[in-house]
Amino acid sequence: MASDSRLFQLDRIVGPFAELLLAEDLPLLPTGRRTEVVQFVQRKAAGIPSFTRFGVTVIGLFYRALVAVPGGWMVARILMSRPLPILGEYPRLIRSLSYAYIWERWPDTLPTGACP
Amino acid sequence: MIAVAATAEMDAEVLVVGSGAGGATTAAVLAEAGFDVLIVEEGEWVEQGSVVPFSLEQMDRQYRAGGVTVALGLPSIAYTEGRCAGGGTEINSGLYRRPPDDVLQRWAIDFHIREFENDEVQTIADEVEEAISVCTVPGTPSAPSDVLRRGAEALGWQNSEIPRWMKYPGKDTPADDSNIGQRQSMTRTYLPRAAAAGARLVVGCRIDALQMTSGFASEATTTLSDGRRGTIRFRHVFVCGGAIQSPALLQRSRISGRIGRSLAVHPTVKLAARFADELNVTDDVPVHQVKEFAPDLSFGGSASQPGLVALALSDQWSTFARAITDWRRISVYYAAITSEGRGRVRAVRGLRDPIVTYALTRRDRALLGSGLARLALLMLEAGAEEVYPSFRGAPVVRKRGDLATLGADFAAARASVMTVHLCSTVPMGEDTDKCGANSFGRVHGTTNVWVNDASLLPTAPGVNPQGTVMALAIRNARRFADAERPRG
Repeated sequence: MASDSRLFQLDRIVGPFAELLLAEDLPLLPTGRRTEVVQFVQRKAAGIPSFTRFGVTVIGLFYRALVAVPGGWMVARILMSRPLPILGEYPRLIRSLSYAYIWERWPDTLPTGACP
Repeated sequence: MIAVAATAEMDAEVLVVGSGAGGATTAAVLAEAGFDVLIVEEGEWVEQGSVVPFSLEQMDRQYRAGGVTVALGLPSIAYTEGRCAGGGTEINSGLYRRPPDDVLQRWAIDFHIREFENDEVQTIADEVEEAISVCTVPGTPSAPSDVLRRGAEALGWQNSEIPRWMKYPGKDTPADDSNIGQRQSMTRTYLPRAAAAGARLVVGCRIDALQMTSGFASEATTTLSDGRRGTIRFRHVFVCGGAIQSPALLQRSRISGRIGRSLAVHPTVKLAARFADELNVTDDVPVHQVKEFAPDLSFGGSASQPGLVALALSDQWSTFARAITDWRRISVYYAAITSEGRGRVRAVRGLRDPIVTYALTRRDRALLGSGLARLALLMLEAGAEEVYPSFRGAPVVRKRGDLATLGADFAAARASVMTVHLCSTVPMGEDTDKCGANSFGRVHGTTNVWVNDASLLPTAPGVNPQGTVMALAIRNARRFADAERPRG
């Protein structure tokens, strides 16, 4: 079982969110690839400079709490579809890192995430 | 590889912090003048060719924080810094621009820079161009580069090929020259020159702070890449860590004054453009730039490997996603502005990294929007079938009539704004209300602490700044060498 401090580590926060986001955006991305992408995002998040990392952690905790409640993911999707300052930057960061990785690693990936 | 292993205890007559465009040139000038020089670089030595340019692996190995660095604001501005031997010169586009004469004159007047002669700076620029083999690409430009030329000429806009520091095969170059096809970055030019003159380079060593007593720095506390702490004793120190790290180090050393308060950048917005034929080049950038609206606005091409095409499309993925399958027919371009906004760099006790903020002005936001619309127009004139601007809610632009929609929908807060040109955090000059360092880079209020990198540029120069940084660093290092006698 994770200690309290581990629960607040950024990789633990961004990982599940990245999983949800990728499942939504790229539903046909094979599971193995998705896992690899999520690990990449977690590694990148761990290297973010300290103050920014703090901000990302706080917003990440907000999204984690949101998606943990029934219907929360629907609300998160609405938030993500809006050009909101601060709150909107979090999914944008996760999405940017994920897409950059996917199409560099597997350039012929289809927009659904499927392998051609 | 000319780097040597760092040790916990080191000493030098002159400590140079950072090995990029400012640090490498400073070290070469001072070592050749007979000073005992130690260059300390936080990153590692990465041999050119061992990583794919503009790849995620390169970001991991040669960029600070893996390339995920941001100036906070509305919108936040993503920026990148090199963190490796050679600094930013190892990872940038390699495009070279001379220091603009009008900019130099304005700096001298507005910031009271003494003995700042355009002729001297331009003569040094001549030397720099020789040393780093500045030249244009032999033969025809790449297809993404030709898009900029073609579109600009169709509109009657001023454009040109920008030379770069690259060694190409030629009649004067021996066929077995190991530099052929290599960027003439600092690891290929000024760092070997400094080493040949006796300078030592250590990598994997971070300078945490300078120990100051009454404006005099005598030693630096360090952290090595294996976590060991150490110290470096010196007689003089040149801080050349770039426009973010240099002011942060000075602040951590409790040096006050105009340090870190006037960050200037060239903010950019991007678009992806799809053409009828394949044109994507995965490992290089276009060499043409469009300067019709300079210095306020300029257009150029970005790295466009498929991951970066996906990134450019990601802001409006719901409607742009289908384009990714055509990435071979897509290239990414930018519109850069000379911003009137300013940012700050603040070192905070207990935090390893500084907090960086930047505020665009109303005029900056408008200019980014008009720049993106003009760039889209240029793409259409060059034959683009579809243009995908990088901001949330952006329309696909297929014809001139769509540009009005683009202009109406654009808001800087919705855009992916980024920059690679950071400067002006320790401006040089005698006006202490504006400047953190004197006319030759010595930090005001100190006796032996110099800054010699992009931080010194009083404002953003409106062009790729590396040539200007190198020329000013050499000027200042020579003044120092003339004034101070090497110990030995």
